[in-house]
Amino acid sequence: MTTILFGLRLGRWGVVGFSLAAFVSALIQTVGFYQIAGHTPDERIAFGNSILALASQFSALFPPPIRPDTVGGYVEFRGFHPLAILFAVWALASATGAARGDEERGLVEAALATGISRIGLIAARTAAFALGLVIAAAAAGAGFFVGVASGRESVAPLGLIEASGLLVAVGLFCYALSLLVAQLAAARVATAAAGVLLLGLFLLNSLSRVFDWLSTWRWLSPFRYYDLSQPLPPGGHFEGRAVVVLIGVSVVAAAAAAAAFELRDLGSALVRTPARARAVSNIVSGTVWWRWPVLRGVFERRIATAVWAVGMAALAIVFVSLTRTIVQVLLSLPSLLPYLSIFVRQQVYPGVLGFTWFNVAQLLFAALAVTYVARWSAEDTDGRLEVTLSQPISRAAVVVERMTTLVVCALVIVAASGTTLYYASHMQGIDLNAGRVVAASLMLVPFALVFACAGSLLAAWNPRAAVGLLGAFAFASYLDTELGSIYKLPLWVQDLSAFKLFGTPLLTGVDGRNVALLLLLSLVGLASSILAMQRRDVGA
Amino acid sequence: MLPEMAAPAIRTSRLTKDYGVGRGLFDLDLQVSAQEVFGYLGPNGSGKTTTIRLLMGMIRPSQGTAHVFGLDCFREAVEVKRKVGYLPGDVPQFGSLRGSEVVAYLGGMRGGVDRRRVRALAERFDLDLSRRFREYSSGNKQKLAIVLAFMHEPELLILDEPTSSLDPLNQQEFYALLRETRDGGATVFLSSHVLSEVEHVCDRVGIIRDGRLVRLAQLEELRRIRVHRVEIEFAPDTAVPEVELRRAEGVAEVTVTGQRATCTVRGSFEALMRAIRDAQVVDFVSTEPSLEEIFLSYFSERKPKALTP
Repeated sequence: MTTILFGLRLGRWGVVGFSLAAFVSALIQTVGFYQIAGHTPDERIAFGNSILALASQFSALFPPPIRPDTVGGYVEFRGFHPLAILFAVWALASATGAARGDEERGLVEAALATGISRIGLIAARTAAFALGLVIAAAAAGAGFFVGVASGRESVAPLGLIEASGLLVAVGLFCYALSLLVAQLAAARVATAAAGVLLLGLFLLNSLSRVFDWLSTWRWLSPFRYYDLSQPLPPGGHFEGRAVVVLIGVSVVAAAAAAAAFELRDLGSALVRTPARARAVSNIVSGTVWWRWPVLRGVFERRIATAVWAVGMAALAIVFVSLTRTIVQVLLSLPSLLPYLSIFVRQQVYPGVLGFTWFNVAQLLFAALAVTYVARWSAEDTDGRLEVTLSQPISRAAVVVERMTTLVVCALVIVAASGTTLYYASHMQGIDLNAGRVVAASLMLVPFALVFACAGSLLAAWNPRAAVGLLGAFAFASYLDTELGSIYKLPLWVQDLSAFKLFGTPLLTGVDGRNVALLLLLSLVGLASSILAMQRRDVGA
Repeated sequence: MLPEMAAPAIRTSRLTKDYGVGRGLFDLDLQVSAQEVFGYLGPNGSGKTTTIRLLMGMIRPSQGTAHVFGLDCFREAVEVKRKVGYLPGDVPQFGSLRGSEVVAYLGGMRGGVDRRRVRALAERFDLDLSRRFREYSSGNKQKLAIVLAFMHEPELLILDEPTSSLDPLNQQEFYALLRETRDGGATVFLSSHVLSEVEHVCDRVGIIRDGRLVRLAQLEELRRIRVHRVEIEFAPDTAVPEVELRRAEGVAEVTVTGQRATCTVRGSFEALMRAIRDAQVVDFVSTEPSLEEIFLSYFSERKPKALTP
């Protein structure tokens, strides 16, 4: 029990943050439904049809909704499905942190020294995360409940419990799987390996909705079992056996992780390549990149940047392939033709591609900025910032160098993904305006810079809380653009969202005012973070 | 016209960092001359690392000033660090970078690395720079930190408990390096909580406790402060020289139980050795008391007052 409580304490910020995010997300989507769906049955049917049209563009991410003209169907689609992805990301970070991050910090060694067995430790950490999941899923349910009450409607308690239970089951599956991968892989690649596996399983399921040949394999994906149920809408369904499979596989994966932990040495992976015999060397690295500001940071992140560039290029190819399929489906629906012609002015392919790909690219670039901020925070707590500042380099220079490094790496990723997007589209017979592809891709750089500058300020102010707070900022920024017009927020408040300022550059070109605002926000964030960095204590 | 006087290597005036509830550093007035090796002694949590972080400009003083070679430690931090080599108390983590890359990375921030100097240092401490930082033992991480502090031959070395993870052989090598560095004209500010360590290398010591400097002493005075607890076991057929022990200069608190004698020795062991030279000794154990014990025995008070300026 003590170890479970210890595990909960170590992950308390995750539990608090994700519970808050789940509650706010479910509440806002629910309240938002009553704001935009209309009140008469006809209005709601029309609203439901427009959501179905929107959903068809996102079929690569989420399953098609059931009865989106009802609050249950709408919130299941807009609130709970994205939460399943969010919980998977949380599970990934928590599992690799518990397995290898805590090991590097010496916490695992200290825990084992108290006499707890390795199996007991894995079981306790898994139980602690499961408890956290239950709290966060309950928060999501509470958000939906409160939102529905505000609309003077009622909720079927069983459906709500089932929807929350599904979130727990999928989160637990992702946690156990990541825990297992973290035992097998080396510490420095554990998070990446588990992340790639989870992303692969997610894409396997979601792309199987578009590509029939993948449907044979989708049973391998936990997200498939999540999709089998939609308990919130009227006429929805709950597949109990799918939940049993998710929980059962989670238990098996956690047991396998415990067995692997038993077999491996602390600090080592279970699967490792034999060390090569190597002569002792006292030679300083001759790589010239280390000598130059910014280039040294870019060089240090070369592998991560390459992985991001290749990953985003591959994803661009997938989205281009999906676009043709999606557009063909859309054009086959006569009722949607007027809608399409109004919104995309005959540029159907660039419109859909711009909407789907650049929406995903924005989320990924926000995530890229979060990973950089996580690194800066870690440099603060592990003493690296202190030793950097013991060199003749000013605090302002440290902040500026970090930002410039991010910009250069983002440019490399943008170049790879933008070029791939253009040529993959061309190969598919979708002719995009080359100038707009370049402009839209480049817009991702100031977009990421806004988050990085905000994160830099947070890291200078409170490094331990920076990642969580930046995640909340990104989430709020996303909600701002999603719900700003629904809740009729003042224009200047909506303009604070980088997602809103990004606009639709592939379809309508880059808006100079939006670029200026993005750069202005970045500049304010940069100046504030330099000021905060200069005034703060380091290492205290 | 009077010749311009060289600025002291370190000068602090009423330097204070108040963390609240009595924690921190208070009213530190200290001067360390150029080419001096200054030991900064104090028990854990006494304020040594806080002093060092103030000197390095990592934290802002609540009041007072700190200067290195006449430069303000916070406002002119970049200039200060050109002259300083720093070894932090906790070795920073460099993850999967190789030792050679860490040296190149931090050396690059100084405009380049003296490769021969680094090689000589690495060879001296038997440090393999081709290994990843993550793979280093704590001793090897400490050796890398030593290389990083010494590689640019700084005018001032600020070292926070530099031998904490080193084995005795490497500790001796480190002391030799310190002596060479001093002979080469550098100044050294070294913090420690081990009395014998500063005795090895320092010219002068400052003793800090509860955030206040309680004593500045020359090495000779330090030796007088130094107390050892000794346990001697005599052979069964030997008479225990209790009278001689009690009469020996510097020997106190003598207790004899059967063939075993215990006592404390302040300063030199010469008188003790003379007292027992005619007896057959089968075991002789000497232990150095902790600084806390020294404070209690030497200063005879639990909460020492700060030095008056």
